[in-house]
Amino acid sequence: MPDSTRIPQPVLDGLRAIAGPENLRLAQGELAVYARDATPLFSGRPDAVVAPADTGQVARILRLATEHRIPVIPRGAGSNLCAGTVPLTGGIVLSTVRMNRILEVAPEEMLARAQTGVTTQALNAAAAACGLFYPPDPGSHTVSTIGGNVATCAGGLRGLKYGVTRNYVLGLTVALPTGEIIRTGGRLWKDVAGYDLTRLITGSEGTLGVITEVTVALLPDPSTSRTGLAYFGSLAEAGRAVSAILAAGVIPSTLEFLDRSCMDAVEQYAHLGLHPDAGALLLFGDDGDEAAVARSFERIAAACADCGAIAVQTAGDITESEALLTARRCTLPALSRLGSLTILEDASVPRPRLAEMVARIGTIADRHQVTIATFGHAGDGNLHPTCVLESAADTEGIARAEKAFADIFRTAIELGGTITGEHGVGAAKLPYLTERLGAEQSDLIRRIKTAFDPAGILNPGKLGS
Amino acid sequence: MTGVKVSQASSIFDPALLSRCISCGFCLPACPTYGLTGDEASSPRGRITLMRALESGTLPPDDPTLAEQSSFCLGCRACEPVCPAGVQYGELLEQWRGYQWAGRGRPLVVRLLLIVADRAWPHRIAGRLRRAARTPASASGSGPGPWLMLGCFERSLFPGVSKSALALAPELAAPDRQGCCGALHAHNGEPERGRQLAGQLGAQLPGKIVTTSGGCAAYLAAVIGRDRVTELSEYLRDKSFGEVRIGERRARVALQDSCHLRNGLGVWREPRALLSAVAEYVELPGAGRCCGAAGTYALVRPRDSRRVLDPKLDEIEAAGIDYVVAVNPGCLRQLRQGLRRRKSKVRAVHIADLLRQASG
Repeated sequence: MPDSTRIPQPVLDGLRAIAGPENLRLAQGELAVYARDATPLFSGRPDAVVAPADTGQVARILRLATEHRIPVIPRGAGSNLCAGTVPLTGGIVLSTVRMNRILEVAPEEMLARAQTGVTTQALNAAAAACGLFYPPDPGSHTVSTIGGNVATCAGGLRGLKYGVTRNYVLGLTVALPTGEIIRTGGRLWKDVAGYDLTRLITGSEGTLGVITEVTVALLPDPSTSRTGLAYFGSLAEAGRAVSAILAAGVIPSTLEFLDRSCMDAVEQYAHLGLHPDAGALLLFGDDGDEAAVARSFERIAAACADCGAIAVQTAGDITESEALLTARRCTLPALSRLGSLTILEDASVPRPRLAEMVARIGTIADRHQVTIATFGHAGDGNLHPTCVLESAADTEGIARAEKAFADIFRTAIELGGTITGEHGVGAAKLPYLTERLGAEQSDLIRRIKTAFDPAGILNPGKLGS
Repeated sequence: MTGVKVSQASSIFDPALLSRCISCGFCLPACPTYGLTGDEASSPRGRITLMRALESGTLPPDDPTLAEQSSFCLGCRACEPVCPAGVQYGELLEQWRGYQWAGRGRPLVVRLLLIVADRAWPHRIAGRLRRAARTPASASGSGPGPWLMLGCFERSLFPGVSKSALALAPELAAPDRQGCCGALHAHNGEPERGRQLAGQLGAQLPGKIVTTSGGCAAYLAAVIGRDRVTELSEYLRDKSFGEVRIGERRARVALQDSCHLRNGLGVWREPRALLSAVAEYVELPGAGRCCGAAGTYALVRPRDSRRVLDPKLDEIEAAGIDYVVAVNPGCLRQLRQGLRRRKSKVRAVHIADLLRQASG
């Protein structure tokens, strides 16, 4: 079969030799499916897709690509929401799907080591089998890969109490664009030898190197975890309840909120029997020993009641708790029931400004005449205002949505917040990055990028570009 | 051939259905073929991207990946219950195959099967040969029902199943002259013909129709209405039975779900409840995953079908069970053949036959 691709023959031969011909895709149809990830409105067809088996193969592919100046786009499950794995200018998509082994769970050291393509859920299951748990749980944890989680510094529903991915990464094996392999950090809780490259590469979105192996810290699995719901008249009221809960000295493991539109979408999918009239829902959860959880639930319920909650319910058993959390994780895809194009954002503000931010999102939506449904990790001040449009063909609506989001970003920054709390910059937020970081920091980021990737082959058009 | 010739690439899919997917990827872990390959193209999300490329013309209609992936998909619809966006993947696949498998694109074995299923005479002969249990209304097909649907392939392959069903529910009328439900057509490139056949069957058997085939139940319900179709284990749910014993002990049994019954109609508790009542029930880890029979799949893609089946056979053999129970003839055939190849001691039976043992 002739290779109808823009990639020069020696590179194709090299890819075949490195990864094996059966792990190289070149047909147009096979490439078309890698043109996008979970981010709407961004796409670009790659010229090849290769799935290497190990760190050594990844390094050799990168060296080859640097020699021939061909873009390489690392890709885990393609579930990210910042267009971080879209091959904007073509090139080689490097899929980590074959690197999917859990290498070790070490209960005595409370850590796990896994290849980059292991799903977050599989890692957590392996930890659970040893009585441990891996706290970060991004909404897509059943699909997302641990390598992708580290690359985007994924957050999730437990961020408030447990932090995010970066708080658990102990060490990384990374193949550099120039073909070297480095091992940052390791198995140690304390290690200050050198710059903290582990943290630098965590959240670098596949622009500095390809993460091939990850060592993460684990915690003992809490004996009890419970979930409950409080209903409010409006999202801003729910936001005030969040402040009241935290002021009461409770740090719940989960504190999420959904506005009415999100509740409707979730209800359509999950049939949970959510309150039919409430304007907003606050989903709270805590874990630990039974008495402590009971105590924090009492305080949460009291704080919600003080803030005018319409009703407070607590889930009866684990299954019910899990159903509530699953429903929350599905909010974004469920929202597409309201309109087939959902553009979601990820602004984050300091917690005390949460209610104000929510109110201003409402004003912005009105000003630009767009429908914005909001949900998010209320306890983290991390909001996911989502613009729901009839279809991707509604270019005029998309233009209005983009204006609305520009306003939302500006408002977030004005309130001391950021343009992205957990989804990442990717191609989607790159235009707003300098506004957030300032020119000096943006320049420094570009210099760091050049130090790692002198030929600029790794994930072009994203961070560091 | 009644396959509709699509002249323009812009009319293949229902745009409202095709636009629903937001590519979140939540379907990936549920998809058996993605599990085999890890390749985006063989995932539901990837296949929808391919459908969109076909619809928009960014891939030419004769693109080989389109042909390959529309055929490699099992059509098990395991992606549907896990899809928060509510994408009706099964419907989209029918539309896709309606295009890809129109005319010469259709695998030869599928063409032959459709010819057989499309004609009434093979069923009539099969019906005579199997000496169907007669019921008062059986000859005419008139009366209020409820009716037992005989199934066009089941009645030839496993004639005992309808007999058992009638023994369990003697009130069912089972007229000999009844056509195919059209599922076979719909899933193999003739969606219009499928709907037409389902409509005809619905008219032949007015009122409630009971079926022993999960696949037929789901398709028929989608066309003539859920309220008119009941799968056998749903129908029997309130009846009580004896026990299935092996010597001194209760038999150990496991269920293999019918994909369309589970993913399309949401029926999975009912057969489990019945089996738990008559035997010691063991849940297989992958009970809800496709066995690889997938309608014509086992015939069209025998190698892939076995790759899907093999881990399931491992599970069945590891479970220490006497029977693995099917609620769909295709699954029954697939499991039986697989277990026979392995010379396994585990027997595959239809739920109607097992329950009959329990009541006899």
